[in-house]
Amino acid sequence: MGKILFLTCPEWDNGTQYLSRYSTLIIQQAKKLNIEYKAFYKDEAIPEKTTKYLIKKQPSLIFINGHGDEKSLEGDKDKILFSVDKNLNLLKNKITYARACNAGNLLGKKIAEKGKTCFIGYKSPFSFWIDNKRCSTPLKDKIASLFLLPSNEIIISLLKGKTAKQANEISKKMMVKNMLKIVKMNEKKEPGAMAWLSLLWNNYSGQVLLGEDNLKFN
Amino acid sequence: MTNSDKINEKEELAKQLVLARIDVMPSSFELSIGDKGTFTKKQIIEEINKNSEVGKQVIDMQLNFIKALSTGKLTQTLTQ
Repeated sequence: MGKILFLTCPEWDNGTQYLSRYSTLIIQQAKKLNIEYKAFYKDEAIPEKTTKYLIKKQPSLIFINGHGDEKSLEGDKDKILFSVDKNLNLLKNKITYARACNAGNLLGKKIAEKGKTCFIGYKSPFSFWIDNKRCSTPLKDKIASLFLLPSNEIIISLLKGKTAKQANEISKKMMVKNMLKIVKMNEKKEPGAMAWLSLLWNNYSGQVLLGEDNLKFN
Repeated sequence: MTNSDKINEKEELAKQLVLARIDVMPSSFELSIGDKGTFTKKQIIEEINKNSEVGKQVIDMQLNFIKALSTGKLTQTLTQ
């Protein structure tokens, strides 16, 4: 098993482009901490490439960005990377964080059943608001960052040596902080604040940690 | 009033709330909902009004939020 961060960053629609762009902040952190990483961008995020790498290098921290449902996690253009019937053994004895919809319901449970394994993900849709005036510079999108920076914090905390449980808690605390910011925006009559709050609440309440919560990235 | 009527009434309330909240949103804002895609303000309103899967998902998220407000769970979380 290698102390390697493995990421998938498909970029085939607005949503995945944002997720991918926010993942660059995580890569910056990995570089700063001298942690080896391997990112599969755009059309590289396909099972033919990711599976081969996972078997060969056995990275211990897996970060999946993209679309998902109760039974699967996808890469580029709906190509299934992991499902209840496919590649689950590759996630055994690892920490996996899926920034994707609904996988915490069934797939996450199946992953977490396997050995010393931990899964963090969502049992609801992972959603966020974006300001399309910032589409070409997502990292400057102040509204999207309210949703995406707390989710980044899961991996960043793990890179810094926190346990999965601590990483999940740190991320949730940041979401609470951001919800309080939105409440203040609402008090200042910021249009849309209540819609942002309700969505962030859904991400907060849907974020789950399954399996061994004391695992660290080693 | 039957249980089904009560559920419909809740959903209708959530629908009206979402529509009101979306309506005041600046038009540059878009909603990204997982594999459903990214939707402009106008598109979200259309999806809700035609009762599509996306529209229902947006309503469900609103219902979840209303539940957290009415049970005190949201306040409890924000003040912990």
